[in-house]
Amino acid sequence: MSDRSLDGRVPFGDIRQIWDRHRFSMNLVNPSNRRKYKVIVVGTGLAGGSAAATLAEQGYKVASFCIQDSPRRAHSIAAQGGINATKNYPNDGDSVWRLFYDTVKGGDFRSREANVYRLAQVSNNIIDQCAAQGVPFAREYGGTLSNRSFGGAQVSRTFYARGQTGQQLLLGAYSAMMKEVSKGHITVYTRRELVELVMIHGRARGIITRNIITGELEKYSADAVLLCTGGYGNTYFLSTNAMTSNGSAAWKAYKKGAYFANPCYTQIHPTCIPVHGENQSKLTLMSESLRNDGRVWVPKARNDRRLAIDIAEHERDYFLEEKYPAFGNLVPRDVASRNAKGVVDDQRGVGETGLSVFLDFRDTIKRDGKEAVGQKYGNLFEMYNRITDEDPYSRPMRIYPAVHYTMGGLWVDYNLMTSIPGLFALGECNFSDHGSNRLGASALMQGLADGYFIIPYTLGNYFAAEHPHEDIIDVEHEAFHEAMQSAKDRFSELLNIGGSRSVDTFHKALGQSMWEYVGMARNEAGLKKAIEEIVDLRTQFWKDLKVTGTDVGVNIELEKANRVADFLELGELMARDALERKESCGGHFREESQTEQHEAQRDDTNFSHVAAWEFKGVDAVPERHIEDLIFEHVRLTQRSYK
Amino acid sequence: MSERAKMTLKLKIWRQENARSKGRMTDYTLSGVSPDMSFLEMLDLLNEQLISQDKDPVSFDHDCREGICGMCSLVINGQAHGPEALTTTCQLHMRKFKSGDTLFIEPFRAKAFPVLKDLMVDRAAFDEIIAAGGFIDIATGSAPDANAIPVSKINADLAMDAAACIGCGACVASCKNASAMLFVSAKVAHLSHLPQGQVEADKRILSMVAKMDALGFGNCTNEAECQAVCPKGISISNIARLNRQYLRAALLSEESESMDCLEEGSH
Amino acid sequence: MINVSIIKKQIAGFAGLLLCLFAMAHLAGNLLMLVSSEVFNRYAHALTSNPFIYGIELTLLFIFLIHLGLVMRLQWENRSARPEKYAMQKRTGRGATLASSTMVFSGITLLVYLVFHILHLKFGTDYRVSYDGIEVRDLSRLVMEYFGSPGTVGFYVLAMTAFGMHLSHGFWSAFQSFGFSHAKYTVKLRRLSIVFGVLMSIGFSILPLWAYLQGV
Repeated sequence: MSDRSLDGRVPFGDIRQIWDRHRFSMNLVNPSNRRKYKVIVVGTGLAGGSAAATLAEQGYKVASFCIQDSPRRAHSIAAQGGINATKNYPNDGDSVWRLFYDTVKGGDFRSREANVYRLAQVSNNIIDQCAAQGVPFAREYGGTLSNRSFGGAQVSRTFYARGQTGQQLLLGAYSAMMKEVSKGHITVYTRRELVELVMIHGRARGIITRNIITGELEKYSADAVLLCTGGYGNTYFLSTNAMTSNGSAAWKAYKKGAYFANPCYTQIHPTCIPVHGENQSKLTLMSESLRNDGRVWVPKARNDRRLAIDIAEHERDYFLEEKYPAFGNLVPRDVASRNAKGVVDDQRGVGETGLSVFLDFRDTIKRDGKEAVGQKYGNLFEMYNRITDEDPYSRPMRIYPAVHYTMGGLWVDYNLMTSIPGLFALGECNFSDHGSNRLGASALMQGLADGYFIIPYTLGNYFAAEHPHEDIIDVEHEAFHEAMQSAKDRFSELLNIGGSRSVDTFHKALGQSMWEYVGMARNEAGLKKAIEEIVDLRTQFWKDLKVTGTDVGVNIELEKANRVADFLELGELMARDALERKESCGGHFREESQTEQHEAQRDDTNFSHVAAWEFKGVDAVPERHIEDLIFEHVRLTQRSYK
Repeated sequence: MSERAKMTLKLKIWRQENARSKGRMTDYTLSGVSPDMSFLEMLDLLNEQLISQDKDPVSFDHDCREGICGMCSLVINGQAHGPEALTTTCQLHMRKFKSGDTLFIEPFRAKAFPVLKDLMVDRAAFDEIIAAGGFIDIATGSAPDANAIPVSKINADLAMDAAACIGCGACVASCKNASAMLFVSAKVAHLSHLPQGQVEADKRILSMVAKMDALGFGNCTNEAECQAVCPKGISISNIARLNRQYLRAALLSEESESMDCLEEGSH
Repeated sequence: MINVSIIKKQIAGFAGLLLCLFAMAHLAGNLLMLVSSEVFNRYAHALTSNPFIYGIELTLLFIFLIHLGLVMRLQWENRSARPEKYAMQKRTGRGATLASSTMVFSGITLLVYLVFHILHLKFGTDYRVSYDGIEVRDLSRLVMEYFGSPGTVGFYVLAMTAFGMHLSHGFWSAFQSFGFSHAKYTVKLRRLSIVFGVLMSIGFSILPLWAYLQGV
């Protein structure tokens, strides 16, 4: 395993001027020439939807692909909380610099300064754009936009649209897309899944998709390919991701030579509704705001299955308040999650499965009254009640952490281009802006920043500088036939294993290994065990998988098998990355690297870098490249919540 | 969950090979259903059993499974998204049923929503309606400062009420006429409650309704079943609003002349 | 423009409301029987001897045909909007009512009723009577004779129940089609619509029942 230094191609200069100067120095494509360029955008979430719409407005010919039946359904819709921007409308001291600083710090100093600064810079344009599109943001009585403080931020910089911010922002991007569809600038291909990336002369020049309805493999060529396919949290089987959220598009790109950066950075959210049993298919997130008033506790005694009401005050362990008197129940996500797992591992978990901790509103209800609590949390209590059939007003809620977001992703340079020329990655699909942990209300901001305000410039620069369209190719090129054949072979292999186990049994087994060893707390022995288990599971998969049906028409099992086959490789890389990063930072906690108070201990001397992995073969060890992170504007500090 | 609490259900499920073939209701018996399962997890369980018997699993649409993406559908015992108000199928739990119950599970049915396989339907018609005008034509970069366009709180709230539509199509499925008026009116109301949406208001309303008609949706007879099944509680007051705005646009707007030409084209 | 769904409903609804006006006037005329047969006969004579009566009748027929034609067309479109029916479809109880979901049946009932109504009464036996030397049609006698049969009365009451149901949804529905919507008044309008339907249904049933009871 050899390390080389990787260049993020960040322009030199004062961080406050880098983006402005870069926009000036980048090459432009003449407006009348833009229609000669074809762009493929895979995914229609906030990043993909906004990119497709904006590029089409500029005059490029856009082909947009999504796995759902409509671009409006991408999983960005599920984001509830809000979107950050540095408007400083509340006049409470926010600025581009402060958002930049908070984001770098929140990412535990594992992100690129220049990228984060640019993100904070364009954040205001996003709000302007979305408001103009008709996104129904919350308003004050005077008609101006309303802001709230979110995720422990000390300024109110979060814009929101009831509990549907993600949905409303996506409907904005989707409507912008449909406007371009009506003008003939975008062609939308729904219910398609990327199954191969096509490379010609060292550049990304097209994709092979599988039509989920007909089962047909289809070829599409372009001058550039944008992957906006989200994160890979479903490697854990259970997560807050949607059922079709998958890592396959990024994984195909990785296998064609795109580097995969920091795959081990996973965000685990502490306030999810716990698992009810083995048939659970997905986890539901509840807003973190619940921790403002709820008290987290478990019984002091092990295996105590009594009802909460029967457990006396002195028998209760308010473990967060006890351990972190200053922050109490409001410690950051990763700290809250890790401690919950700690007490559950100690057999003090509650509920029928023992896989949860209490989040108790008893004292708040006593203090403020049922009505006040209802006004604040009524919707969340109702949702909780609907799913669990338990009434949070009369008995404590039960919560447990769940995988929520992946900060890692395809490595991209300052222009959002992966290590494959012509292949770009946007939104959660790339690794760039959140370091090792993401702040609340920043995912929506990043997706839209990439799509509306960054790629439109940097993609033009790529076209104008490299002229890919002069290398005329079409889907009859032999590279397309080869890619098609390889996809065909893969599906027929999956169909013909003739084993006895369904796809989900493999996915669940993978999820168990990942959760146990590559979850909230990781250590060397566990990670090695995880790699071993995953490799073994993968061997089993290719020997004993059972897929019913054929490759013609809808075949839900075949679709899933194809994705799980990729997760079985991706999971291994996540474990490998976690193993190599012998420090704790953000969402990555290595038990070997903790302070005396059991807090995450960064190792800035040895790990202040991005780890970008290069594929060397499915069963070969990938190569780990390093991009050094240099902090000139933000002072590195150690977190402490005591 | 203890064994005692597991339920056994009789399922009558619509099975259809593909868009061209004829389908039929098929009977299954499923045991081992936990009351804590969601409706879709119950179907997952059925599929695991079908696969173990080398049978074709039941295809159905679903994605986020938290009631917001609008992908899940199904008409359960004659009602879109099942018996529970303000609830999508993915958020419906099996504790709402009793062991021994017979459940009819059918796809959303409408000429404009053809069945693709089993319980999966094609709702691309909704995208076509949006493409006909369900947007504000503003290019990226040309927006004024967000606070330059004040919106009264009441209008912002009404716009949000309408914008909460998740585009699932339950309104069409539940309407005895398969009318898409609730969907169209929600989108029109969302934009028409906002000052940003005024510029294109007449054009939007005329073209979206023309597209809706051309796609073969039925006519609204004001029965409000759509509102009753809507998982987001979209109100039929939006339909009234659409009706009066349409009439005004049709009679008074200069856009309506150009629309007449468009309409001729679509017939 | 006439082909647009919304416009078709608005015209059908408008025609329906005009027919409601006619029905109210008709009911007022009917109830004159309860005063005396002479008042009733004189009123009927005044109406039919009016030189504008043919124009008015033609207009009424025209409005009726518009209503009928448009709802038939809407209904045909509605049926073809769902070619494959559900194996099971159930009202939620939170939206559609019995009246709203049976508009077609109540409408057909009324159509059948109208044929008999016009045939038997308007074109029924032409009895004559003289008041102050002026000979007028003795419609009152025909009515009393006609409603002497319990079958006829039953049929009328049934038809008028259908009529009331038709109105209880149709009256409100027309306002909704024109876009009347108000947080408070819509609820009141819906109630008014039901009250209107019930009153009309009772009002039109009074005469046949009264006439029958006179003869018993």
